Amino acid sequence: MITVELRKMFRRPRTWATIAVLNALPVLVAVLLVVTDLAPRPGEGPPFLSAVLRNGSLYPLAALAIVLPLFLPIAVAVISGDAVAGEAQAGTLRYLLARPVGRTRLLVAKLVAVLAFVVVTVVVVAAVGYLVGTTLFDAQPIGGTSVSGTSLTSEQITGRTVLAIGYVAVSMLGVAAFGLFFSTMTDSPLAATMGALAVLVTSSLLFTLDAASPIAPYLPTRYWLAFVDLFRDPIQWRDLTRGLALQGVYVGVLLAAAWANFTTKDVTS
Amino acid sequence: MSDRGRAAAPRWAAVGVLVAVLVSLPAVVGALPVEDADVFAPDLRAAVLASDSVGYSGYAESAGGLALPVTDQLTSVADLFSDRTTMRVWWRGPADHRVDVVTTAGETGVHRDAGGSWTWEYERATATRTEAAPLELPAAPDLLPPSLGRRLLSEAADAELTRIGARRVAGRDALGLRLEPAAPAASVRRVDVWVDGDSGLPVQVEVVAKGSDRPALDTRFLDLELAVPPAEVTAFRPPPGATARNGRQAEVLREAGDRVRPVALPPELAGLPRRVLDGAPRGIGLYGSGVTLLAVAPVPEGLARALDDTLAQSPDAVVDDAGARIAAGPVGLMLVEPPGRGPYVLTGTVTLDALVTAAGQLPELAGTG
Repeated sequence: MITVELRKMFRRPRTWATIAVLNALPVLVAVLLVVTDLAPRPGEGPPFLSAVLRNGSLYPLAALAIVLPLFLPIAVAVISGDAVAGEAQAGTLRYLLARPVGRTRLLVAKLVAVLAFVVVTVVVVAAVGYLVGTTLFDAQPIGGTSVSGTSLTSEQITGRTVLAIGYVAVSMLGVAAFGLFFSTMTDSPLAATMGALAVLVTSSLLFTLDAASPIAPYLPTRYWLAFVDLFRDPIQWRDLTRGLALQGVYVGVLLAAAWANFTTKDVTS
Repeated sequence: MSDRGRAAAPRWAAVGVLVAVLVSLPAVVGALPVEDADVFAPDLRAAVLASDSVGYSGYAESAGGLALPVTDQLTSVADLFSDRTTMRVWWRGPADHRVDVVTTAGETGVHRDAGGSWTWEYERATATRTEAAPLELPAAPDLLPPSLGRRLLSEAADAELTRIGARRVAGRDALGLRLEPAAPAASVRRVDVWVDGDSGLPVQVEVVAKGSDRPALDTRFLDLELAVPPAEVTAFRPPPGATARNGRQAEVLREAGDRVRPVALPPELAGLPRRVLDGAPRGIGLYGSGVTLLAVAPVPEGLARALDDTLAQSPDAVVDDAGARIAAGPVGLMLVEPPGRGPYVLTGTVTLDALVTAAGQLPELAGTG
């Protein structure tokens, strides 16, 4: 079942088109940086973008920071919103459920497919970022400087970059869970995607308001940029662990709700 | 009802219970009882003042509502008191510590050693060396609960102090100590310092201005570990490729002092006695004690004009015959320009009425207003 869903996901041209579009923005930003040599001013622009001009091997992180606020969650919302509702809209959900597989198993298979998309997308963005960064900018093979001003070896930078890629992937699970939950609620993939995006926009907006600071620690987007903390010295684990726990709670609750809804609803299409 | 409909109710109920448990967890943890201790206020203050050699590391957040009306030269100082600032700190002692102001995309770290401090700015890739001086501009380390708590309690009289129970801060039981300044000129209504009972370390400080119930400044630990951090964490050496330079803060302060015109200031203003502060430019008069302080400076015309423009744009400023003045929380600021004479700036943690009284007692104005 899981293999079937994975094959279906990665055989679709749409999946790869989405990943390609996601990579276009960081590549464009890198080209503009090289052509103009204008780094963002301190306090402005995505994290690591100004550091890239000194060390191109940091570009995977800058690329992730560029797509993280908007492009990446949109892509995840589109794919996860389509997971169940897409089948319903195409009229294939009924036939899927006619096979002797439980609805819970189908839901798990859909979830695994979405997770695979998230991981592949984040890894591809980082890999393309590395290629672009080391090609267009000066790369320092001996290592680099941490955010705290200490020296990091190239092994440390590589290890922390791998952790950052993993953290960004986990950060997207909340969006995926919202998309999947809404996808079980409606027969329209567009409505499910828009629902997940509405949650995202609401969370991002509330995060900027001082008045919303009491609920800020519970907003799904609150700890997204905490991957920067991996490059402080010593590593600041506080927000990273909170970010992982928060995504775990959202995924757990929303999957439970998706399961309660999907396993008990009447499927007619 | 169909079979599926009947099966739905218990499943949704299980989801509902899960959500309810998760939502109520923070409230349950917050409601856990806090243990108070039978400590008298003066003893608690003494414990706070003796805590500067306690080693610790932690994560602190300060939130300020003090929109200070300043000119462009002091925006970094103004930001400290008007913004939310998050800090990581490693404290081995007063002359060996590190405080990083953490932002989403970078950080500014101050590494203090016996001879001065290194300030590392990640986004500028710049390390600045500043030699130790008796008087320095306010910086993020001054906002840490232990530093601010010790400073605000340093000159408090026993009669101004009361105990106010206990609360949990950064997972520790903290004893409350309230300072209510006795001076009539004081603009600070109260300072609440929450102190870790075992170490005497202030873990939260709230400053409330007169006429308000909400803190104008609130700084607290979110995480705190009471152990001396290793020396290699606080040490600093500029990394390769970074720009290293010498700070100009001492020069800036000296130049500012040189621009102050020499005026013989009275020994008392608005009921506050004059005091001496090491390193302060000689032309500036300092008055008061504890949390009720007033500074008076005869300033050059250019600076006064810039300040006048800033005040003119502020809707909260009061402008009348006595001069232009404004209050940002407990901090008052007044610009006086007597006709035909040089302007004065008066500022401090005193009420606007006290500023007007003090202005009337200045040498060139006494008896004219």
